[in-house]
Amino acid sequence: MEGCKAGDRKMQELLYRQTSSKMLAVCMRYAKDRMEAEDVLQMGYIKIFQKIQEYRGDGSFEGWIRRVMVNTAIESYRKSLRNLKVVEIDEAYEQPSTGFDFGTLGMQDLMKVIQKLADGYRMVFNMYVIEGYSHKEIAETLGISEGASKSQLSRARAILKEEITKMEGFGYATYTG
Amino acid sequence: MQPIQDKDFDQLFKDRFEDAEITPSRDLWSSIESEIEPKKKRIIPVYWLSAAAVLIIATVGISIYQQQKSGPKQYANNVLPKGQNPVIVEPQTKDTLVSGIAPIKDVVKTLPVDAKPITTLAKTKVKDNVKPIENQKVISAPDIQKQETMIAKAEAPKKDIKTKIEEAVFQTKEESVLAANNGNEPLADEVIDNSYPIERKGIRNVGDVVNLIVNTMDKRKDKLIQFRTDDDDSSISVVNIGPFRIGKKNRK
Repeated sequence: MEGCKAGDRKMQELLYRQTSSKMLAVCMRYAKDRMEAEDVLQMGYIKIFQKIQEYRGDGSFEGWIRRVMVNTAIESYRKSLRNLKVVEIDEAYEQPSTGFDFGTLGMQDLMKVIQKLADGYRMVFNMYVIEGYSHKEIAETLGISEGASKSQLSRARAILKEEITKMEGFGYATYTG
Repeated sequence: MQPIQDKDFDQLFKDRFEDAEITPSRDLWSSIESEIEPKKKRIIPVYWLSAAAVLIIATVGISIYQQQKSGPKQYANNVLPKGQNPVIVEPQTKDTLVSGIAPIKDVVKTLPVDAKPITTLAKTKVKDNVKPIENQKVISAPDIQKQETMIAKAEAPKKDIKTKIEEAVFQTKEESVLAANNGNEPLADEVIDNSYPIERKGIRNVGDVVNLIVNTMDKRKDKLIQFRTDDDDSSISVVNIGPFRIGKKNRK
C-alpha cells in the first residue's frame, strides 16, 4: 500500500492483481454487462491510484477500495442518466411469492438476474441490499425521494423473484426433460 | 417450499456476493496502466512543443528575411515604383531587345508576320508591368503623374522597337517600321484604357482598405494578403505567408 502511495507501478499492479477480481464482481452487479463493468473497473482503479493519498488507514484498505469502486459505479450510472433521459420502468408484478431452492442458485445466476433489472432498480437494490446504504442515503446519492427508493427496492425484489422462479422452472424443465 | 421473506431474500444475495470474484480480462491492467502513464510523460511534450515553436519561428523568420533580401530584384523586374523612375523602362528595353531581334530576319521577308509577334510580346510585357501600379494606385501619386508614367511606358517599347528595327534592318523600307508601329499603337491606348477605370475605383470596401495597408507594408510582389475587390463584396484572393501560399497565382 505504501508503494502504491509512492506511485510505484509494480506495487500498483500487485494491488490490482490482488483485488481486481473481487472488484469486478462488485462492478458487475452495478453494470448491465461485463463490458460496462470492466469500464467501471478501469475508471475505479485509476481513481484509486489517484486518490490513494486520501486513504487515512481507518477501516480496511479493501473496504476503502470497494467504496471507491461502488462510488465510481454510481457516478457512471448518474452520467448515463444524463445521457439517456428515458429510464424505462419495468412492470412490477405482484409476486406470487413462491419459495426458492437456495442451493441451486449460484452467484452467476443472481448476477444474471440483477443485470437484467432496469438501471434504477439495480442501483437501489445493490446499494440497499448488498452495500447496506439506508434509503435516505440512496435518495441523496441518486437524487430521488426516499419513497421512490423504497418503492423501487420492493419492485426490484419482485422482479428478481419472478425471474428467479422462471429460471428455476427452466432449470427443472431441463433436468426432467 | 415457503414463501420467502424479504430479509431472507436479501440475505441470499448478500451471501452469494459477499466474496464473489470474477476475473477481469487480461488486457485490462495494461489499459489502466496506459491511462495512469500520461501524468509522468506529460513533461516531455512541453519540451517538444517549445522546440517546435522555435523551429516554426526560425522558419518563418528566415523565409521573410530571404524574401526581403530578394525584394529589390523583384522590384526591378516586376514592380514599378510610384514615381517616374528611369529604372522602370530599362528592363523593358532589355526584354524587348532580346526578343525583338529574333523576328527581325522575318521582317525582311514578310512584314505582317513580323508585326504580330512584337504586338503580342509588347502586350504581355506592358500588362505585367501595369499590374503593380493597380495595386499601388491608391497610395499617393496623383493621377496625372501616373498617366504620364503609363504613356511613357507605353511609348517606350514602341520607340525601342522602332530603333531596333531601324538599327538592325536599316535597309528595310519605311513601311515596315510603320507597320510595326501600327501594331503597337492601339496597344498603348488599350493599356491606358485598361488601367484607368481601376485606378479611379478608390476605396469602396474593407478589401480595398486592407489591400492599401498591405501594399504600404509589404512591398513584395506576392502580398501577405490580397483581396479581390473587382466585385462589390471583397473576398480574399491571395494569402501569402512565407512558404505557404493560398490563392490564385497571379491575376491575369
